[in-house]
Amino acid sequence: MSTLAEPAPRVGPLEWVLATDHKRVAARTFALAFVFFIASGVLALLMRSELAQPGLQIMSTDTYNQLFTMHGSGMVYLVVTPLAMALGLYFVPLQVGAADVAAPRLASLGFWLYAGGGLTMYSGFLTAGGAGKAGWTAFYPLSGEQASPGTGMDMWIVGVVCAVAGMLLVAAMILLTLIRHRAPQMSITRIPPFCWTMFFTCAMTVAAFPILIVAMGLLFADRHLGPVFDTPGGPATYQHLFWFYGHPVVYVMFFPFLGVVAEVVATFSRRRLFGYPALILGLFAFTGLSMTVWAHHMFATGQVNNQYYSLTSTTLAIPAGIEYFDVIATMIGGVILLRTSMLFALGFLGLFLIGGLTGIIIGSPPLDYHVHDTYFIVAHFHYTLFGGSLMGGFAAAYYWLPKATGFLLRESLGKLNFALLFVGVNLTFFPMFLLGYDGMQRRVADYSPDAGLTTNNMLATIGAFVIALGILTFIVNVVVSMRRREPAGDDPWQGQTLEWATTSPPPRLNFAALPPIRSYAPLLDLRERRGEGG
Amino acid sequence: MAPALETNRQDFQNLFSLYMVIGVAIGVLVIATIAFVVLRYRQREGRDPRRPETLLKVLEGTWVAAIAGIVVVLLVSTFTTEDRVDAVSGDPARTVRVTGFQWGWRFSYPGTGVAITGNSERSPTLVVPAGVDVRFEITSRDVIHSFWVPELRFKRDAFPDRVSDFDLVVDPGVTTTGHCAEFCGLGHDRMDFELVSMDPARFDGWLRHRERRVGATHAVGAA
Repeated sequence: MSTLAEPAPRVGPLEWVLATDHKRVAARTFALAFVFFIASGVLALLMRSELAQPGLQIMSTDTYNQLFTMHGSGMVYLVVTPLAMALGLYFVPLQVGAADVAAPRLASLGFWLYAGGGLTMYSGFLTAGGAGKAGWTAFYPLSGEQASPGTGMDMWIVGVVCAVAGMLLVAAMILLTLIRHRAPQMSITRIPPFCWTMFFTCAMTVAAFPILIVAMGLLFADRHLGPVFDTPGGPATYQHLFWFYGHPVVYVMFFPFLGVVAEVVATFSRRRLFGYPALILGLFAFTGLSMTVWAHHMFATGQVNNQYYSLTSTTLAIPAGIEYFDVIATMIGGVILLRTSMLFALGFLGLFLIGGLTGIIIGSPPLDYHVHDTYFIVAHFHYTLFGGSLMGGFAAAYYWLPKATGFLLRESLGKLNFALLFVGVNLTFFPMFLLGYDGMQRRVADYSPDAGLTTNNMLATIGAFVIALGILTFIVNVVVSMRRREPAGDDPWQGQTLEWATTSPPPRLNFAALPPIRSYAPLLDLRERRGEGG
Repeated sequence: MAPALETNRQDFQNLFSLYMVIGVAIGVLVIATIAFVVLRYRQREGRDPRRPETLLKVLEGTWVAAIAGIVVVLLVSTFTTEDRVDAVSGDPARTVRVTGFQWGWRFSYPGTGVAITGNSERSPTLVVPAGVDVRFEITSRDVIHSFWVPELRFKRDAFPDRVSDFDLVVDPGVTTTGHCAEFCGLGHDRMDFELVSMDPARFDGWLRHRERRVGATHAVGAA
């Protein structure tokens, strides 16, 4: 079985770059997404430095506009979506007992499109007029040729198209793997929870991402060929196309991390996930609803049926409640080990909750009329994206990096990493709720010293640097652990799914032999049968 | 005098309080449950892990039903409030035409020739009668802007080539700052305006005064 698997052969740099093994393509994606994460995070630190006090201290408004555009675009298109896809690309084939992803060359092409797109988008900074500066949403007519002339904006559009198309390819291949390449014994009720979250993630990706590519193509045509959106209904049409991508992508950036958290909580409670069928059906409902809520981003336009979108958006609370119940109930009666990845999973539950509950508030049009396009929204989606997705991402890093590298990360540094991020996220983003409510609109480089916004802005800025310290701790942890190389072994956590039944790192074709698969937690079954408890 | 009309601010506050009470209650419940479960089931030597499956299934059903009930309550309150907030009167006491542009606002009072324009250097002042229905017709001259008055808890986007209507009732004695909330380029952060409410009689006086000044300007222009 796993002990028979040969360790991965050492590979040279060229092979590392050109290989099509799903694990190597995923590793490249992780590495690049992390680079873009640092870059986009540095932009955020610059923005927070500017906003620490009223007045313009360190940059011009024009620079600030480029920074927030590239921060948001970077994080959404180049960081969190690719991280979600990289997790799927690495662990879906392992969890379903497949030797590789379906059509690995296409998945590899997806990576290269993403890499090219990201570099193109960031290269906008090198052009005379600077990078894109119409926000990550690039609403028309602001993103049109007249209001935003210049190559930077064009490079932004091309970058978005490439990055999104790349991730679309990766998602399609993960979906195909899940449908066609599962081990023979893995019937659909034996698919592990993380794989289910990836299934729905990729389904949303395949449905929604092409629409953004179309919207970007039309925007490019409008800028260079002649009017496309320049009609009375054009600007609203652009927003519909954009948010038809833009809302599902929010769950593309959420589901995989929810899946990670479900697995981490089950593993570190030594229990089987509670309510598997309810959780999957809940995800199904979530996915269906996610395609119907997009215009809740447009309540303030006065051009959509607000009550319909309010209905579908508020209904999302029901599947979300199911997910929360199942994950929390998994811990009941368990034996909980507070390892670093478990701490991050718990952090995810607490922080995403704040993001989710405030999401219900802004799903109500009369309430959204006040807080839309303010820092309240900024706070809300950072609680979901940083408090949720990235906390889940760190849970995944501490849980799965040992599988991918063969060595363990330091627990002490990991706990410091968690504490700094947890404090930093709250210190940065909680004051933003108050800022938005008190009258601070989004996307401003400056605010009035008399508006009572100064203290909360200062707190948020301090918080941002605490977050930076937390990220630094993670980097130090990886470097230190890499030098110590404390071996992880095949299964350091008593994992429940198939990736723990092979070596760390797994061999080229993943498995020498597979254990029997009788449920969505095959390794837990084995332990239970051997009487080790579970 | 007729009974005071409900202002948007009051509507907002009532609905917001409901959402906050429910949101905070659920937030505290969930976080307290997580904390309790984690503390209760921290690793202990020799505990045999057991889970009350049936009890939990019943609890899950109850929890989902409770959320569904809350969703219904929230939606009904939202819809009732929104019907009031979005309603446009057939007979507004005054109409103001709002035009956003890069980077400023123009407020005009149809039928009077009075228009007040200001930009990011010198913000304009929007004067409205207090306690009565004021109709706003909002549009934009270039990109999308958004007319936001935090004090009134309301905003509406201004789209080019489109007019959007809404009514607001402003309390007496309001002097406050409004902003453009939709990112619109370089001057977005300074695209502010002042809003002042006057009781209707004083407002009429103010408007007549401005009208005479417009007339005078026109007369001078004609001469």
